[in-house]
Amino acid sequence: MGELAQLVVNALAVGGIYALIAMSFELAYESTGVVNFATGQLAVMGAMIGASALALLRLHGGLPVGYLATAAAMAVVGLAFFAAVFRPLRGAPPVTIVIGTIAIGMVIQNVAQLVWGPLPVAMRSPVGSGTIHLAGVALPLHAVFVIAVTVALVGVVHALLHATPLGVQMRALAQDAETALLMGIRPLRLYGMIWVLVALLAGIAGVLLAPMWFIDVTMGDTLALKAFAAAIIGGFGSIPGAVCGGVLVGLAEILGAAYVSSDYKDAFVFALMIAFLVLRPQGLFGERIGARG
Amino acid sequence: MSRLATGRTAPAVAAAVLLLGVLPPLLLSGYALRLLDLALIAAVAVVGLVFAFGYAGLVHLGQAGFVGIGAYGVAVLTTRAQWPVWTAAPVAMLLAGGVALLIGAPLLRLRGHYLALATVGFNETLVVIAKNWTALTGGDDGLGGVPGIGGIGSDRAFYWFAAAVLLGVLLLGAALRGSRFGRAMIAVRDDELAAAAAGVPVFRVRLLAFVLAAVLGGLSGALYAPYASFVVPGDFDVVHSITLLVMLIVGGEASLPGAVAGAVIVSFAPEWLRFVGAAYLSVFGVLVLLVLVLMPQGLVGALARLRRPRHV
Repeated sequence: MGELAQLVVNALAVGGIYALIAMSFELAYESTGVVNFATGQLAVMGAMIGASALALLRLHGGLPVGYLATAAAMAVVGLAFFAAVFRPLRGAPPVTIVIGTIAIGMVIQNVAQLVWGPLPVAMRSPVGSGTIHLAGVALPLHAVFVIAVTVALVGVVHALLHATPLGVQMRALAQDAETALLMGIRPLRLYGMIWVLVALLAGIAGVLLAPMWFIDVTMGDTLALKAFAAAIIGGFGSIPGAVCGGVLVGLAEILGAAYVSSDYKDAFVFALMIAFLVLRPQGLFGERIGARG
Repeated sequence: MSRLATGRTAPAVAAAVLLLGVLPPLLLSGYALRLLDLALIAAVAVVGLVFAFGYAGLVHLGQAGFVGIGAYGVAVLTTRAQWPVWTAAPVAMLLAGGVALLIGAPLLRLRGHYLALATVGFNETLVVIAKNWTALTGGDDGLGGVPGIGGIGSDRAFYWFAAAVLLGVLLLGAALRGSRFGRAMIAVRDDELAAAAAGVPVFRVRLLAFVLAAVLGGLSGALYAPYASFVVPGDFDVVHSITLLVMLIVGGEASLPGAVAGAVIVSFAPEWLRFVGAAYLSVFGVLVLLVLVLMPQGLVGALARLRRPRHV
């Protein structure tokens, strides 16, 4: 029983991280029309920048400054993505965007490799590596922290999209760009902000994942595939969907690895994704996707 | 490509085929020849993508998986069951086509990037299976000792053989392009509703294009395994699927000569970009992005525009 509870908490933490990456992916798709195949590389960038920033700034101001510096750097990455990828590819057919973002993912991964080398980064959790005892079960503190941060971020993003003028503008632009322009929305500035948010969400996911897993520069595609699976399972265009999808992917992976076969854990996730695509293409919460795209 | 069928340019095409099919192995040797052999093998799979993506418009990021089915099919049948390559190859191709039929039936209801994601998942699943079904595939260690194709002892002879196979595939492609099926694929790609209204069985056309692509992917793998004599799961992962699609897009997405040109250019890119050293993938990624933005029709489209600027 204790073992199962530990596994479930770990699965929720990993699933929460997949959910954050899936939210980054969906935000980009819903509000800018770009299917971002470089989402995983953005998450890895977050982990790499975070590890370096924390190591460099530990002596000058400590953790908070390190995290702020990481966020600022990810915002710059988001703006660069907006300028170098989104603007030239805007409105292109799906395959151009798919290959274009894959190409940019290659560039990001290669630059990360040149800067940080092939070894995985080590990052300490802000809450340390201890355990917390709940009802007699020892749970890793970082996993509990990740779940809390994910819940908080989901709330923040939801509030941002639904309760601020900025969010209303973003959703207006996503729903009907022409009418939004007629209402005086300035699209480029808004698109720039969306891409900053996209990079931040992926980057935070990377920073949260780094203390749990050894993250190296080649992990982007693996992470992105899990997040894509989460987005499809939850239903495209739905933040609750991304969260549920992420949690389901995390559970399928961790419980499948523990009780069935750790070799085939990735196959379970893809099988689940393909089953959803075939049997319930709208996912748990989303619109019907089969005919879109 | 339709001009090939009209016969107006037939002599020029025949001369080009003779020149490109016969000469290179006499001029090149060693590593360059080996790269060219691998480019021809890849070109067979890329021609498959001309059907699936170029003609039928399916964003297919799983072609390397079908190459892998062909390669592993031949490797397993020749090393574990002692079949000769000549009987193993057609069986491996049929296997690739059969798998495509099975998974295509559900997957091809998806469009655009949803299909892209699903094919990525399919490809990754195949790699996971190849890595873990050790008894059959040898797992991560791969499967070695695949016998060569009988009578073909050198890279030079292999080039001529592969060029002949590729020529056959291209002729088949040109014939299909001009056929009722070819027109149906393009109609489905350009406007699915209009095609359906005109009586084109949309789903069957898409499925057939997907299966055809898989069979050619299987053929590519069936050439690769005896050539390399060794297969590992990593040779057939999504990265290779992406490379195959990039080859097609660099050459020109709906063009058979473009598929071959793209395969050769992308195969030699690491060699030509050797001077950039460890930054290779960055430079390659930026080049691909530039091709997408500046030459959306690929090399063939860009050349056509240069030659006939007013008619485009």
